[in-house]
Amino acid sequence: MRVDKNLIVWSIIGTGISSITVQLVTIREFLTQFHGNEITISLVLFVWLLLNGVGSLASRLFKITKAATYFLLILLIALWPLPQLVIIRYFREMLILHGSSPGFYQILFYVTITTAPYALLTGYILPAALDLIRAHYYDFTSGELYITDSIGDILGGAIFSFILVYWFNPFKILAISSSLLIITSLHLFIKDKKNHITVISLLIVAIFYTYSLNSAFEKSTLTGQYGDVIRYSETPIGRLIITKEGAQHTFWESGTPLYSDGDIISSEEKVHYPMCQPDKKIENVLLISGGIGETLPEIYKYRPKSIDYVELDPALTGMAIKAGLLKPEPGLNIINRDGRAFLKETSKKYDVIIMDLPDPDTFQVNRFFTSEFFAVTKKRLSADGVLSFGVKSYENYMSDIIKSKLSSIYNTLKQYYSNVMILPGKDAYFICSDHGLDPDIPARLEKKSIITEYIQYYYYGNVTRERISQIMDNLDTNEYVNTDFEPRLLNIAFKEWFSKQGFSPNTFLIVIACMVIIYIILMKKEEYILFSSGLAAMAVEMLVIYCFQIVYGYVYLKVGVLITAFLFGLLPGAVLGSTFRQKNHSELVLSEIFILGLLICLFVWVSFIRSDLHQIWFIGYSVLFSFFCGLQFPVVTGIIGEKMSPAAGCIAADLAGAAAGTLLVGTLLVPLAGIQAAIIVVIFIKITSSMLIIFGRKY
Amino acid sequence: MQPMTRKEFLKSMGACASLLIAGGAGYPVFAGENSGNIRGTVFRGDAPDKPWKWSKEAIYYEKTGKDVRCLLCPNHCYLRPGDRSVCRSRVNIDGKLYSLAYGNPCTFHIDPVEKKPLNHFYPGSTVFSIAATGCNLRCLNCQNWEISQKRPEDVTHSELFPAAVVSSALKGDAPSIAYTYSEAITYYEYMYDTARCAREAGVKNILVSNGYINDKPLSELARYIDGANINLKSFDNKIYMALNGGTLAPVLNTFKRLHEKGVWFEMTTLVVPSYIDDPDMIKRMCGWILKELGPGYPLHFSRFFPNYKLNRLPPTPVSQLENFRDIARKEGLHYVYLGNVPGNEACNTYCHNCSKILVERAGYYIKQMNIHDGKCRYCDTLIPGRWPRKV
Repeated sequence: MRVDKNLIVWSIIGTGISSITVQLVTIREFLTQFHGNEITISLVLFVWLLLNGVGSLASRLFKITKAATYFLLILLIALWPLPQLVIIRYFREMLILHGSSPGFYQILFYVTITTAPYALLTGYILPAALDLIRAHYYDFTSGELYITDSIGDILGGAIFSFILVYWFNPFKILAISSSLLIITSLHLFIKDKKNHITVISLLIVAIFYTYSLNSAFEKSTLTGQYGDVIRYSETPIGRLIITKEGAQHTFWESGTPLYSDGDIISSEEKVHYPMCQPDKKIENVLLISGGIGETLPEIYKYRPKSIDYVELDPALTGMAIKAGLLKPEPGLNIINRDGRAFLKETSKKYDVIIMDLPDPDTFQVNRFFTSEFFAVTKKRLSADGVLSFGVKSYENYMSDIIKSKLSSIYNTLKQYYSNVMILPGKDAYFICSDHGLDPDIPARLEKKSIITEYIQYYYYGNVTRERISQIMDNLDTNEYVNTDFEPRLLNIAFKEWFSKQGFSPNTFLIVIACMVIIYIILMKKEEYILFSSGLAAMAVEMLVIYCFQIVYGYVYLKVGVLITAFLFGLLPGAVLGSTFRQKNHSELVLSEIFILGLLICLFVWVSFIRSDLHQIWFIGYSVLFSFFCGLQFPVVTGIIGEKMSPAAGCIAADLAGAAAGTLLVGTLLVPLAGIQAAIIVVIFIKITSSMLIIFGRKY
Repeated sequence: MQPMTRKEFLKSMGACASLLIAGGAGYPVFAGENSGNIRGTVFRGDAPDKPWKWSKEAIYYEKTGKDVRCLLCPNHCYLRPGDRSVCRSRVNIDGKLYSLAYGNPCTFHIDPVEKKPLNHFYPGSTVFSIAATGCNLRCLNCQNWEISQKRPEDVTHSELFPAAVVSSALKGDAPSIAYTYSEAITYYEYMYDTARCAREAGVKNILVSNGYINDKPLSELARYIDGANINLKSFDNKIYMALNGGTLAPVLNTFKRLHEKGVWFEMTTLVVPSYIDDPDMIKRMCGWILKELGPGYPLHFSRFFPNYKLNRLPPTPVSQLENFRDIARKEGLHYVYLGNVPGNEACNTYCHNCSKILVERAGYYIKQMNIHDGKCRYCDTLIPGRWPRKV
């Protein structure tokens, strides 16, 4: 019986919707399960793309000729994401020691085993669909397959980024994104009168929806990791959880304990170290993050006229208010905005600015520790105002990594503040002002009649003059300053991460590099063009995400929009490319020139302009770049010919390039050498592919 | 569609191989950290070619040809020439076992004695605290990992040989020297020689340790140690293996031996949420202490904060610490303290006989001292510990 071609086309679109949505949900899940830095994102994408490529090549070995088999696989693609997410949550507790953060290889291994079935299957299904269509005597090219898949990808990215992420939790998102696949497969089973399969499928689908739409079930999958969850919310910015351990509340943001009751040490240090410094009465205080728990009551001791508390996620402050961990008081303004953007736009002058942020180990956080940001803080401080923040340190010994970290921050601050004092401890606190600074905190508190539980009685034993001198005397004045686009602190943070884990990624990177070289040697030269374009596309996608993060911060929310923009560009590119496919190499040369031009534009902006661009520029650039990458796919397949290079080979080259690009930029170049270096390497790779086209034409 | 070509087959195999390698690289990591035992392993071929200036031949080891077995701690590292011990401080160079941590402390500070923590050892006094690198365990929550999980060659260090340590302590008006921060057992020879010098100079010696040491070296060291704080990380061998990479029995033996040798010591248990939270285990632990050591040695329950690799756990609820303190006191221990909880009344010392306050502490300050000549000022009961003769 001849299968309905439209049904297969719909299933390809459905696969696109499902795969992109599942990919985004999975990235967000891993960001909360592991340390959510750039390396984690790049590892997830790398593994995913590589497995897609392997799945695509596997379609050459295992062919599908029966529609029922194909649609059973489609049903599996629809249903598997739910168990995959449950497995990610449960296996973490089984494979990784409870409460611990895994290292590089553990993350790699864990991502590989948990995403393999789905990524392999989605990679396999596209060329398999092409096989099936052709087996039933329909005409369908690789380029058309690429376009159809792109439509699904764009729909998936758009639906996720503009609707699902705002309204639904992950399980429900999976339920919705799988619907088209479920409908197409059930439609075929019913139409083909496969009664047994239909009944069993209906039963499984019913179970799938029962669990995926059940909020209590979803919450229960988190208890193994978090304990007694009393409040849970998925927001576009992150996962918020409040747990209860006995009488203690703990507030978790994206998997990390943010605040727990009774942590008086941290609250007193972050508030009193800076607030005791000004001689005059403190009128206005700005608190960037960290307002939950004891922090605000400690600030109230100074009776300031106003406290502006800036927190990006309204759900976080809302949840804290409901749980009684944040009490609105007269003079307290809770502002749900990005702290950097707020500070840039406000005209208010502050006597004290307190930042309570995690260490700068992501682009998102690094932008609060850069020269550009400190310049803004200086403008917003009153004449004798004080800026203060803490970073993780170690009180008994100053390792080379901590020395670099503290030195870089110190040198960056010294560009704007005449006095910078570092007070040692588990967190090293930077106190900065143009006014004189006094390290004798208990004496200053006594002068101001401020009572404390910790500082008054422990400070002289923990923060001795000898310990302060030891830090100040060991600072390296030659250490690089930290800027938005040369994130020295990020580089130090990655070194610290690997040092803590006691592992180096070198073995893995060398093995992958060897595999890539062998692969390049074996591939056709036109496939290398797809490989290099796949590499450039993913590399630029990552770089655009990083740049966006630098300018706007909240990448967790917008990462879906940027990925969608990239996918969106592929479609018109592929459509246009299909019209060229019978011609010669000139379209390829032209597209290569445009791609190189766009890369140079990015380099010029990152290196020399660095202005805060409107979000539309990032989206527009993404669309344009992927347009030219998308254009190349049907042109190359047309040049090689369907017989010489079937879809599987081209898709695999594209995916392998994308995987290599993700790894190259996310794990190697940006962490170690910065954004500019990464762009230069991508430009170099694209030059090689351009040379190959030009060289190839001569012969 | 064409059948798979040889090239395509190779490509698939290449991609699969890279994934297998990627996955395979992770496997040993999981096998190590989640196999229930994170015990460290010997570093093969990691020793320097020759001893450096801060080397000293180890005291406790045995030879088998050119191979050596370190007899300092229960790890009993078997090292071929060129190998480095689990603790990273000891190496086999040409058939001799050397400590590479002798006279090269990576850090030294003057601390209050209460910071060790020691509440019954000359309260209010200061301690000259030193550390060289290394540790024979692999605690996932180590707050000193920057020096405990590093090789001596990897850190910046000073040069301070034993006599210089003692003179530095005297110069800093510190009546005691503490071997602390990292794991003192790993720089045993340095500690031992310094302790002997200190004893001669009338300076007291404090050992802050995980207690993971063999009997013979401990007994020899105990001759010069005046006070100790030993971690009793849990009372469950499985937890010891899973979180610390050690075993319980040698640590219990350390307590018994110090007790026999008359060394004053206090015990610290870091209460790690979801690991050290079984009240029955605490009961058993206190029962053992009572039976083997008596009720007089102080026990400190310390509040955990996320640290090192164990950074996705909440801090210990204070109520749980208070509950454990109640259990320990009900079991019969006389002195049970809470650590890392500023302002808590369990930081004070109360007479076990009349329950009156003996030492009222406000952080590192002594607000009241009601122990005179080692006895309760109110009921004349002898209070275990090491107290100044006059206050």
